[in-house]
Amino acid sequence: MFLTYCVYLSLAVCLAGVLWRMGRWFTLSIGPEAPSAPPRARIAACLHATSSILTRPVIAAIVKAWVVDVLIQRQIARKSVVRWVMHMTLFYGFVSLILLHALDDLTLARWDPDYAATANPYMLLRNLMGLFVLTGIIIALVRRHTLVLLKRFNTRADKVAIALCAAILLSGVGLEAVQISSAPLFDEMVQDYFGGDDPEEITSLKAYWAAYYEVVFPQPPVINAQSLETGQTVHEDNCAACHSPPTYAIAAYPVVKIIKPLAPAMGRIRLDIGLWYIHVLASCIALAYLPFGKLFHLISVPVSLAARAVGDTRGNAPLNRHTRRAIGLDACTHCGVCALHCSVAPLMAVIDNPDILPSEKIGDLSLWYTGRLERNRQWRLARGGNICTACGRCTDVCPAGIDLQDLWQASQTDLIDSGYFSPHGWIRTNDMVAWSKSAKTATTAADSGMHLVDNPDTFWACVQCTICTNVCPVVATSEDPRRDLDLTPQQVMNLVRLQLKDMALGCRMVWDCVTCYRCQEECPQKVPVADVLYELRNEACRRLHVVKGPTSKLSPSDLQER
Amino acid sequence: MPAMNEMQCDLLVIGSGMAGMAAAMFAGQHHIDTVQVGITGEINFASGLLDVLGVHPQDQGIPWEDPWAGIRQLIKDTPDHPYARLGVDQIQRAMDTCIAFLKSAGLHYTTRHNLNSHIITPAGTVKTTYAVPHSMAAGAQALASKTPTLLVDFHGLKGFSARQIIETAGRRWPGLKQLRLAFPGTRGELYTEHAARSLDLAANRKALADLIRPHLVGAKAVGLPAILGIYRTSEGVTDLEHQLGVPVFEIPTMVPAVTGLRLREAFEQRLPATGIRALYQQKVWDAMVLPNGEFRFSAGGLAPETTIKARGVILASGRFFGKGLRADRSRIREAIFDLPVVQPKKRALWHHKDLLQPSGHPINRAGLETDEHFRPVDEKGQVIHPRLHAVGSILAHQDWIRQKCGSGLSIATAFGAVDAYAQLSRQ
Repeated sequence: MFLTYCVYLSLAVCLAGVLWRMGRWFTLSIGPEAPSAPPRARIAACLHATSSILTRPVIAAIVKAWVVDVLIQRQIARKSVVRWVMHMTLFYGFVSLILLHALDDLTLARWDPDYAATANPYMLLRNLMGLFVLTGIIIALVRRHTLVLLKRFNTRADKVAIALCAAILLSGVGLEAVQISSAPLFDEMVQDYFGGDDPEEITSLKAYWAAYYEVVFPQPPVINAQSLETGQTVHEDNCAACHSPPTYAIAAYPVVKIIKPLAPAMGRIRLDIGLWYIHVLASCIALAYLPFGKLFHLISVPVSLAARAVGDTRGNAPLNRHTRRAIGLDACTHCGVCALHCSVAPLMAVIDNPDILPSEKIGDLSLWYTGRLERNRQWRLARGGNICTACGRCTDVCPAGIDLQDLWQASQTDLIDSGYFSPHGWIRTNDMVAWSKSAKTATTAADSGMHLVDNPDTFWACVQCTICTNVCPVVATSEDPRRDLDLTPQQVMNLVRLQLKDMALGCRMVWDCVTCYRCQEECPQKVPVADVLYELRNEACRRLHVVKGPTSKLSPSDLQER
Repeated sequence: MPAMNEMQCDLLVIGSGMAGMAAAMFAGQHHIDTVQVGITGEINFASGLLDVLGVHPQDQGIPWEDPWAGIRQLIKDTPDHPYARLGVDQIQRAMDTCIAFLKSAGLHYTTRHNLNSHIITPAGTVKTTYAVPHSMAAGAQALASKTPTLLVDFHGLKGFSARQIIETAGRRWPGLKQLRLAFPGTRGELYTEHAARSLDLAANRKALADLIRPHLVGAKAVGLPAILGIYRTSEGVTDLEHQLGVPVFEIPTMVPAVTGLRLREAFEQRLPATGIRALYQQKVWDAMVLPNGEFRFSAGGLAPETTIKARGVILASGRFFGKGLRADRSRIREAIFDLPVVQPKKRALWHHKDLLQPSGHPINRAGLETDEHFRPVDEKGQVIHPRLHAVGSILAHQDWIRQKCGSGLSIATAFGAVDAYAQLSRQ
């Protein structure tokens, strides 16, 4: 009775949670478009778009995406066979267990009048599915703890999801093993299903079950040819229809072999009942937890993939872009594929900011948009986001079909609007004059570390020949270098040589350098032009953060770049 | 320390300027197994013109119409000049070979039947030179026959003013007109390499021709700064001539000029195809002679990367700007082997008091003393190493800038040294 309540309660929590989470898709405002539209308008816009899709051929693309990317998981298979095996075994293992085992009263029991959970093929199938899930869990654990990028960033959500799966599976396998060896359960079954009351027949049956069905009795019955023969007859008359030999319980049987010596003790404390509670409660918790952790991707990913099949976020109506992005935040499973393909991920080695990685950035964005991100982490998020080069690889590889690149751009605008300023953005809309008014004289602790700029040997050989400017692709693409870049490379070198580095820092040439290093290679005097520009940019960035950054949101330790 | 690459060769050419490139080219023609190493240096500053001898004696500034007669006189007057180790025939052969090689690399040169040509400079003065790039040949012609010419310059291109040229040359060359244009697609400062890359494309040449055409009125030729492409200059000139209906020519620009870049690209593209193993953008970090008489070097970009073992060496490392010579507070040193450098006794004697003294300064003639095979010798005249040769501007007793013999000196001494190396090896 208690467990029944638990099941209904968790189902209610699950449904309410799913509604709440889906409701958030229409309340979160992500991106610059029409920021304060009421949820009702958002829902209407979404329904309108959805209904118009239903009548268009693009619906075929959606169905195809669901088959290919949800049911077959082709995207994952292409990237990694191991991960594909993990996902398929977990997904199909759990789905079959839920349908054919947890809900057997509604499914198998109706289809097959002779259904019994302990008879083949159902027992074998259930155990097989259990082994599938176990394989998936093991791969997930190994993967999360061996891949360099992933093992650093195992979140609580990842751990909880794996732990819940493991709890359900292990309690289930353990339960079956204990049940197989349990003498009290045997007695109950005899009481409930055995027609006669001949003690000799029961003793023979006990002998047969002890010999062939692994039941461990507190007082072991006498096993001989005669008792086994009688036992077999009784067994076939009363039990065989519902009980296949336990060797078919391919997951539980090895456990039976291990726990056999302890079986009498387990029988005494009725461990089978305890495990039954654990198994059902763990399943209830998982059900109730589904909308609140990464398991929600069961719902959000198919929605996200459908949206992706229709097109990019930019193609959506402005109101729907917010919704699309909110779905994207929810669709992330933190699988980490984006981080493994991120083109700026190597910068993690230099700037220890996890929000450089798309997989971590999206998690923190989710927290930020829902008002749950701590202050110092907000600053980290803004800085990590600045490093993205918008190469688009994360979007290409995301198996959940999230339009990540659009999400980065939209959130960057939101972060800047809420005071998390971007040095590159500032410098593009200003110039050296604006710089000299604000940031020129700001100094930072790292200022003294400009080992190239402050060293006269760096420049003494420069003859201002303009080779560096002649070969510079940034200057070449500018229609008017003075307007676009303030100064050209050789002019920057001259400023620095004149010890006017404070002025050089605000020059847009410094910020637009693509570090192709042609200037440095071609310089006849071997002046390290590109290295100097790079050093200047780093210092300028630090100064801008001091002067323009939202200092109220900073702790002193945040100002240290590394 | 990271593991070094290893290379073994017969001959190592040190330097990638005019002399180094020429030495590598001749070595390739001799089928010598050659490695060339050198950082980008003076060749980027070349005007593209190949001088052999323009002026002698330099203090009188006398130009020579026939450079070969001039060289004979020079050898007679200054028998220690590097040209004296060669003689006119060898210098002529060297120049012919080099011009043919550049032609095979797509750079066409014009000579005036063994006479010097004259072309206009961006300052409006007249320069005496030997071989003229095809893209400038019509300019020499126009100057010689005083053709009415439209000179075009561009907003934002520094050091090139049509008006200045006319101001200086107008009396000698009447009928010059000037036109200043905004270079198609740009505003503000203009840099020669960017403009030249842009004009390698036909669409941009058409835009330029469309800007020039309305101003042609009466002009029988058009002169432009040397920015007509880098890789397809001849094609670009022909195309513009076709569009404008008059001869079009280039005038050298201030350095760094694309004329130098064209030379460099021609050599860098073509030399590896002739079997030269090139380590461009790399320099020699240290050098030593092994007990068996062979050389061992380490070379690399930012740090030593490759160990090179070589039987012989041609040193074409240039003068001060090329880093072949280094001056400290008291003396001039050779940068790689610390070879003895012929130089004034003390620093106070390096320069005359008059900066613009026509005869040049004593330091200009400092450099390496060699034997007849271009092998550096010590104070007693002893060869320092039997297979170490030096060529180009690092040699002593010449003043190539004032004598207008830079390319000829580089090419001819490279020719002589490689020839000597090959012959000595055969013995």
